[in-house]
This record gives sequence, C-alpha cells and structure tokens, in this order.
Amino acid sequence: MAIVRGRVFGRVVAPLILLVAAAFFILPLFAMMRFALQNVQVIDLRWSNLFDKWSLAPLWSAFSDDQFGRALTLSLKLAFGTGLISLLLLVPTIVWVHLRLPRARSTVEFLTILPYVIPAIGMVAGIMVIKPHARWFLNSDLSLIPFYVVLALPFTFRSIDSGLKALDLRTLVEASRSLGYGWMRTIVHVIVPNLRTAILSCLFLTVAVVLGEYTIADVLLKRTFPAFMGEYRGSDPKGGYGLAILSLVVTTLIFMIIGLVSRPKSARRRRARGTT
Amino acid sequence: MPFLAFLVLFLIVPAISVFSQALRGANGEFGFASMGEAFSGQNLDAFWFSITFSAGAAAVGTILGTLLAYVAASITRPRWLRNAVTAFSGVAANMGGLPLAFAFLSLLGRQGLGTKLLNGVGIDLYAGDFGLGEVTGLITVYSYFNIPLMVLVILPAIDGLKPAWREACSSLGGNSSTYWRRVGLPVLAPSILGGFILLFANSFSAYATAAQLTDNSKIVPLRIGFFLGGDVSVGEDAVGYALAAWMIVIMAVAMILYWALRRRAERWQS
Repeated sequence: MAIVRGRVFGRVVAPLILLVAAAFFILPLFAMMRFALQNVQVIDLRWSNLFDKWSLAPLWSAFSDDQFGRALTLSLKLAFGTGLISLLLLVPTIVWVHLRLPRARSTVEFLTILPYVIPAIGMVAGIMVIKPHARWFLNSDLSLIPFYVVLALPFTFRSIDSGLKALDLRTLVEASRSLGYGWMRTIVHVIVPNLRTAILSCLFLTVAVVLGEYTIADVLLKRTFPAFMGEYRGSDPKGGYGLAILSLVVTTLIFMIIGLVSRPKSARRRRARGTT
Repeated sequence: MPFLAFLVLFLIVPAISVFSQALRGANGEFGFASMGEAFSGQNLDAFWFSITFSAGAAAVGTILGTLLAYVAASITRPRWLRNAVTAFSGVAANMGGLPLAFAFLSLLGRQGLGTKLLNGVGIDLYAGDFGLGEVTGLITVYSYFNIPLMVLVILPAIDGLKPAWREACSSLGGNSSTYWRRVGLPVLAPSILGGFILLFANSFSAYATAAQLTDNSKIVPLRIGFFLGGDVSVGEDAVGYALAAWMIVIMAVAMILYWALRRRAERWQS
C-alpha cells in the first residue's frame, strides 16, 4: 500500500505540484513582459495575435527621458560607494573576529541581522527624526550610502564570513607576519587575494540591494533608479514596466553569477575534468 | 571598533530616535499618549489588517513552501531539477519591490492577462471583494517571495530527516501516517514554525511592493510613509513615529522567536 502510494506521489502528484508552481512563478513575469513589450491591448489579445507587434520601443523611450541618465548614474554611484564601504568595514572586522574573538562571531552575526528587526520603513522614520539636525549631510544624495551599507549587511556579512571560513586564516596570517608584513599589508596582499570570490559576490550583492531599494529613496525623495522607475510608470506605464524587467534581468544575472562563482572548488574542478 | 560605531550611528541612533519621538507628548514631554493613539481607532484597524494579511501570507507560504520543498527533496531524476528549484528559490526569495508589483498588476490587475484568461473560463476575479491591495491579493502577491523563502528555510531540515527513522518506524509497525505524526512533523516543527514567523515578519514590513499595488492606508508601512510624507497637522507626526515604533517592537519579538526556534531546529541537522 505504502509503495503504491509512494509511486502515485512520485509519478503524478509531485510533477503536478511542480507544474503548478512553475506556472505561478512564470506567469506574472510573462504578463509583465507582454504588457511592456507587446503593443496590443489585453482586450484585443487573442491566441492568434500573441506573437504580433512585440518591440523594445518603450524601453528606448524610457532611456531617452532626461531623468533616466541622472537616476541611473546616481544609483551606480550609490552601488559603488556602498560596495566599497561595505568591504572596508567588513573585511578587517570579520578577519579580526575570526582571529581574535571567535566567540564573538555569533554576536556579530546577530548584529548583522538587525536590519531585519528595523526594516527600511522604520529606519527611514528614524532618518526623518535626525534630518533637521543633519541637513548638511542628508541633503546630499550620496548620504544614502551608509544606510544602504546597513541594509545590505545580512547579505554582505554572510558572503565575506563564509569566504573567510574556507581559508586557513591563522596559518596565512602567521606566515605573512613572520615574513615581516604589517597588518595592513597582510590584509591587502595576503587575505584579499584569497577572498576574491567572496569579495566579488559581496560587491554583486550590494549592487542588487541598491538596485532594489525603494522605501528609503521614496520617503526621502531621492531620485534613484527604482524611484525613477516608480515615477516614470505614472507617465508611461509600458516604459516603467520595461525598466522593471531590465532591473529584474540584471538582478537575476547577479544571483546566478554568485551561485556559479561561490560553488565549492571541488565541484568546479570535477566539472572541469568532465567527470561526475 | 569602527564596525560597531558605524552600526550605532546609522542603525541604532535612527531606531532610538524613532522611540524618542514616539514617546513624546504634544508639548514635547515624555508620555505614552502617541503610542496609545497609534494603537487605537483607525491605526488599530490598520494593525489588524496588516497582521491578518501577513499571517495569511505566512500561512500560505509556509504550507506551500514546505510542500514544494518536500517535492524538491524527493526528486531524484532528473538530477538538475532539484538544483533548479533551489537556485530559482534563491532568486525569487529576494524578489520584491517594484518589479514584483508590476508583474502582478499586469497579471491580476483589472486589465490583467490572468484576469482576462479567468474571464474566458467563466471566472470573474473582481466579482467579489478581490483586489491586489486587499487581503487575498496581498497574500497572492507576497506568496511569490514567501514560498521560495520557505523552501530555502525548510529544505535543510527535510534533508535532515534520516531514512533510518522511517525504517525504524515501519519495523515497529507504524505506517506512513504514524511516521509523519510521531516522527516527521515533530522534528520539522521548529523549522516550520520558525519559517512561519520569518515569513510573517517579511510580509509585515514590506513597503515597496505594497506602495505600488495600492494606496490602501490600512497597510501599516504605507501608513507610516503617509505620516512621514508630512501632509499631517503638527503633533500628528508623533503618531507616525509611534506606528514605526510599534512596528519595530513587533519585528523584534518576531525575530527573537525566530532566533530561538532556529537554535532548536539545528539540533537535528548535524
């Protein structure tokens, strides 16, 4: 009986569940793509004209909006600054914790999930309180950087932390120190080169966070790329949805690249040799 | 430590200032008036609405996510399928913000593709009280990131169920349902409950997606944004901060529960 039921589950129920799930996850994306890129109203849509009149024109007109360049430049600057500060802040801290205070690691990890406890909308409420006292700082668009560093912490911490865990840190540092390097040069010339993939995924993750963050920018009226996207949709829905697709594609690529580069070395090597 | 100083300056100070504003009366004196006001009348309605749809979204995400993870764990062939499910979950769990709202607006909005398809088979989606900004709509939209997040949370726990336990159960005379009732579910329970809380917190605090779907001010994060936007009379802004303070309190309780449950769940995963 149990065997029969197991077989029914494996042959019928499981594929059915997977199919329904696939439909649920793919249909919204397809609907958005169709809305943005097919110049046919839903009302006029038939099976026969499903493949007619697709074009990238809405995207081009969004690109040519004069606010677009400014918003994208701001977001790229924010991504660059957020990535740089995240690395400067996290690499020395996590190296230090791994070497000197292994017991504090879980405390530090707890601190890095605090942005879940104080979500973006709570954080921006706090920024509004501080604003009258720190206008010189918060009036600048780039003042978003430190807050984005905090928002990205749960992701960035984990990527650097797991990268360091895979190293024999103590031996590396002792070797480097006994050969006469100071702390600075040890970090820059010994640890960082060994952390290349972790640093790369940390940077990609900050790009994904910055490209996705809307709450803080919206409330503080900063014109970042996501804020522009929301605003532009008001005047040109198709173009706005097109931009959303674009940012989705970029974010998905980022997560796929991270998945590829952070795969354990042994698996990659085996694949390279062509054996499994 | 510069790291600590940074966190204090850009996370703790803003959080504390929220509370300092929330605990301030109309004349600037210390008091709980605003906190009380933020938890009564329309504001209380908003909390109930937000808690209702977040709990609903968490329940749907927990059940379907666990089911999907169980299916993914039981797949042996083709081998790439399981990896595809986990890789996709990693991407979709982080999806949110504007693109998610746009996707569902074009699928299930009034002029949506899915709405039209359903109409074609005789179902009028908007005949009842469905709306993307209402409980049912928000649950549907938030399931898009909640289900994959649950898959990621629960998959290690499901992988931790040892085949030997099942064999032991059946050699002691138990059938499949005995196994799930007496072994499987009790072992998974902390992970499932922890996942539920995580999904609840995730749904409760989401702003960007909701802001694009609707201007329903019964959604607490949108309400906070409305108060912060400044179109309110003097003294009322304290209510906005009090709402934010309540939200942080609720999130803190949820995360502490999650942390404790995760500790318990890890016991079986070595």
